[in-house]
Amino acid sequence: MTMMDTLKSLTGVKRDFLHIGLFAGVYLLLALFISNSYYQLIMTIVAVWAVMGLSWNLLSGYSGLISFGHAAFFGLGAYLVALCLSVWNLSPWFTIVLATLACGLSGLLVGLPTFRLRGHYFALAMLAYPLALLYIFEWVGYQEVALPMEREAPALYMQFDNPVWHTLLALVLLVLALGISSLVANNRFGMSLLAIKLDEDAAEAAGINTLYWKLAAITVSAAIAGAAGGFYAVVLLVVTPLAVFGMLVSAQALIFAMFGGVGTLWGPVLGAFILVPLSEILYARYAADFPGIQGVVYGVAIIAVILFAPQGILWKVRALLKPDQFRILGSTASVADFGAREELLVVPPEEDETPVLAVSGLAKAFGGLQATNDLNFSVRHGELLGIIGPNGAGKTTLFNLLNGFIRPDAGEIVFRGKHLHKQRPNQRCAAGMARTFQVPKPFTHLSVLDNVVIGAYVHTRSKEEASEHASAAIHLVGLHDECHLPAANLTNKQLRLMELARALASKPTLILVDEILAGLDPDAMQEMLAVLRKVRGLGITIIIIEHSMQAMVQLVDRFVVLDHGALLAEGSPDRIVRNPDVIEAYLGKNWLDNEARDGEDAGHD
Amino acid sequence: MDGLQYLENFLQSLVAGLLMGSMYGLMCVGLTIIFGVMRVINFAQGEFMMLGMYFTYFCFAWFGTWAFFDGVWFPFMLALLAGPAMFLLGVLIHRLLINAVTGRQASQLEAGGHYAQLVLTLGIALVLQNGGLFIFGSNPVSVSNELSYSAWEWGPMVGDRVSVFVNQAQTISAILALFVVIGFGQLMGRTRLGKSLRAAADNPDAATYMGINVDRAHRVAFGFGVAITAIGGGLLASNVSFQPYIGTEYVIIMYAGVVLGGLGSVRGAFLGGLTIGVLQQVSAIILPNQLQNTVIFVCFLIIILLRPQGFFGRRERIA
Amino acid sequence: MTDTLLQLDSLSAGYGTVDVLQDISLTLGEGEFIAVVGPNGAGKSTLFKTISGIVTPSRGTMTLRGENLLQVPAPRRPHHGIAHVPEGRQVFPTLTILENLEMGAFVNRDRAAFAQNLEKVFSWFPVLKERASQLAGTLSGGEQQMLAIGRGLIGDPAILMLDEPSMGLSPAIADEIFNRLVQIHRTGYLTVMLVEQRVAEALHFADRAYVLEAGRIILSGNTADLKNNDRIRQAYLGM
Repeated sequence: MTMMDTLKSLTGVKRDFLHIGLFAGVYLLLALFISNSYYQLIMTIVAVWAVMGLSWNLLSGYSGLISFGHAAFFGLGAYLVALCLSVWNLSPWFTIVLATLACGLSGLLVGLPTFRLRGHYFALAMLAYPLALLYIFEWVGYQEVALPMEREAPALYMQFDNPVWHTLLALVLLVLALGISSLVANNRFGMSLLAIKLDEDAAEAAGINTLYWKLAAITVSAAIAGAAGGFYAVVLLVVTPLAVFGMLVSAQALIFAMFGGVGTLWGPVLGAFILVPLSEILYARYAADFPGIQGVVYGVAIIAVILFAPQGILWKVRALLKPDQFRILGSTASVADFGAREELLVVPPEEDETPVLAVSGLAKAFGGLQATNDLNFSVRHGELLGIIGPNGAGKTTLFNLLNGFIRPDAGEIVFRGKHLHKQRPNQRCAAGMARTFQVPKPFTHLSVLDNVVIGAYVHTRSKEEASEHASAAIHLVGLHDECHLPAANLTNKQLRLMELARALASKPTLILVDEILAGLDPDAMQEMLAVLRKVRGLGITIIIIEHSMQAMVQLVDRFVVLDHGALLAEGSPDRIVRNPDVIEAYLGKNWLDNEARDGEDAGHD
Repeated sequence: MDGLQYLENFLQSLVAGLLMGSMYGLMCVGLTIIFGVMRVINFAQGEFMMLGMYFTYFCFAWFGTWAFFDGVWFPFMLALLAGPAMFLLGVLIHRLLINAVTGRQASQLEAGGHYAQLVLTLGIALVLQNGGLFIFGSNPVSVSNELSYSAWEWGPMVGDRVSVFVNQAQTISAILALFVVIGFGQLMGRTRLGKSLRAAADNPDAATYMGINVDRAHRVAFGFGVAITAIGGGLLASNVSFQPYIGTEYVIIMYAGVVLGGLGSVRGAFLGGLTIGVLQQVSAIILPNQLQNTVIFVCFLIIILLRPQGFFGRRERIA
Repeated sequence: MTDTLLQLDSLSAGYGTVDVLQDISLTLGEGEFIAVVGPNGAGKSTLFKTISGIVTPSRGTMTLRGENLLQVPAPRRPHHGIAHVPEGRQVFPTLTILENLEMGAFVNRDRAAFAQNLEKVFSWFPVLKERASQLAGTLSGGEQQMLAIGRGLIGDPAILMLDEPSMGLSPAIADEIFNRLVQIHRTGYLTVMLVEQRVAEALHFADRAYVLEAGRIILSGNTADLKNNDRIRQAYLGM
């Protein structure tokens, strides 16, 4: 292979690092060539804001938790460095590192309470933090902190005669931020964040510890923002609360990533490189006549992006160039096919008689409605149990209780001998309980393969191990040919098979299958039943909820029939179908009466 | 200072807090309407307040010298007029911008268009704020209302010493604010329009089955929300000095009041705003100036983190 | 023969790329009471949503008294006399009973007609009159169902569509509601289209029925003929 071929075949981190290197080279040349100190300053500032954009992107671009408060970390970093220098004469070489660590910690502290909030409340809380800090710093008296000029050995204090040094340092910072972003994006850190963004519940059920990854993201993000802030203080030599904690700062962090391309490596850089010089030049030329022009520019940019290219320029360009290709995220090409190694998913049979799942006295009410009513049943290892009942009988509620998405009001769930109390869904997945959903919850912007690989994270350490398991699961359900398609392009049947594969990849002992046959035509239904039998053949216990008795009757060992949240009947398919209580629950009381009456009429003829 | 002096200070702050709080309450009502019906947090709400203030200020400056309008009632009437003016602006902004990211199209966007709405209003806020800076200049101004300088004396009470001075402009503003809230409550409660807005908020699908145009309901609700906050701003304009960035300062007051009262509850929002006003004024007795707002922040954060559903509103949304 | 009021021809509809309903053809005549039955997931609710306009069909036609209904957007369909009582009742919980009923007549600004229809609804469901100023969210399931039906009737509709009115209600209350419904149908000469999961009830009260399975109509005819049909039993129970 030629050198060009080798270069083109690089993927993931290696490819990114190559691009980063090229970019750094170009930037370096530019910095050395340009001698005008004003342009040097702009190059420096642009790089700082690009870092800020990357920091925001790391948290919000990947995880979907939009932070309106990154100014908090930026400002903290700036003030830390400024105060350390002016009060204790500590060199920024040291204090910027300190600021990075301190802000990382502050990110963690902010994340712990704030991630418990959803949606609007999260956005509002994040908005409040920098504004609160702004007032506090104003009150404490740090309206304006100037970094003193160091006459002797200025270089030791990161002060230079020639501004090109600042530009170079800014470049170093940018390269570091890009490197960290690339490493995050190309590993399970980034994939987990993407999963959280695309469907947090599905990610939880697949074993992803969503809280852990969110905290990790905000810690790294805040650290980078702190470094940017600290360096910004060194460059500008003066720090005011409004300049570093103000809403414009948070808005800028947001806009660069959203403008350039959310969730991409180069998007924030592109955004900063377009918008910062634009606003700086406008400011320089028009600020006297048009005060506030910067804010207007950013505001208009945000509005334009939201209306016309909500994902950012990079995505829009891609959509225009390749209109047929669905927007796909994540790193799919790097995972090779590891073959159909079903043995990886086999669950060995149990020696003793303890049931794999035992439910006793389970109850749950919503408002006045008793969704689950004193439920008792158990499931043996390797059994295929069907849970049926008319609409509104409480079947999905039961799964949500078993799975950990809701807590019961009363009762016990014992899984593999352990009581499940407050365990979150991802912990239950780690313990061996997997699940599919009534309405499939694919990670739409990821390939089938990535969808399934995410399911494999919970029990695997390395990429190879995860891929092996994913590959085995995909082969088992028969989606091998489709594995590189984006999930959004799949048919209903394929989506359900993929969900099943994702569940299988986590090496479960028990799978909760929720109405997997819904919307399937008779052929697809038979196909699905065959797959379920294969899964059962691996020794995995299956509990399946369905409406369609037709199909279930061919499949299950035993039925549990629910009505109004309580156990109505239990037993083999034969007995259940002839059980008069069951018939009444499904078809209505009159049906049996009619049958009886017709029977009598017939008898009289 | 002796006990009576403390008492006097306290009562004075309490009264000021209730009066200012009424105006805050009005602004909170505007914010909560938008959330209650549309489920959108409008980051630009402070800017619409600011526009209401400047509307009042400029109309007063331009027409206040005309003989017909030369009266103490004029600034107050202008504040009320800011409502319809801002209603039109709000409806326009909704139709042009916000509509694009709400409703049916929204589900195509990332995270269900939820964040798109937030970010869009942030962009609008930046444009209004900084556009305002350009158009209005950065000098703080105020509506020079004669009544701002007059006060009624309530007292002397206890032992011939304790007197509370009740600012006349603030009082009239507060009364007007109360009237607007009550009037709006009647609108929502009794008119066909109001009921259709509440129905659209309760259950958009069922509302559509009844023939209610939910998109239009959102537009009207947005207009109302903006208008009411603008009236609050207009009333405040006689009592504080302001510049184009004032929106940011008051945003947190509005949000604190709204979450205190429970997002979506009109009565809760008014009471929440009232509480924040009292908190702000009373805390001025013990805390230095700059920290007053920090107190509000801290309250806001505590409420969001511990009891996001608020205290005053019940589970009802708009009524 | 009764006049044809609503006609669907080869209609297919669904959500996104998936068509839940396939090739549906049915007719509804003036004054008829027809039922649409089928196991869950068969597409019954989707059918109603398509008629109401919430869901846009991908293929096929739909006419009301001969006029193309597909051109009429969803908020305008009530003007043409389509009243939809949705699954799960879907009352407006923070509005009173009276206000809910007012919303039912939203498209019709005629105060006199409203007052008349209100009296009629109150006569059919006296409990609603008793509690006219109570918040709808505080009513029991059965009362909410009556309110939802009243809300559908108050606009004096041409067609009343009811989606699983018995769901979540005890059999006794469900029966009461069905009986009331039949009464209204007969005395008011109202055209009713009923979706029900409980087949026997639906067949008992309706004149004609369509049986839906996996998005297709597998059976149709007079309810007298359809009772105890094995194919229906098979669709529900599997044997």
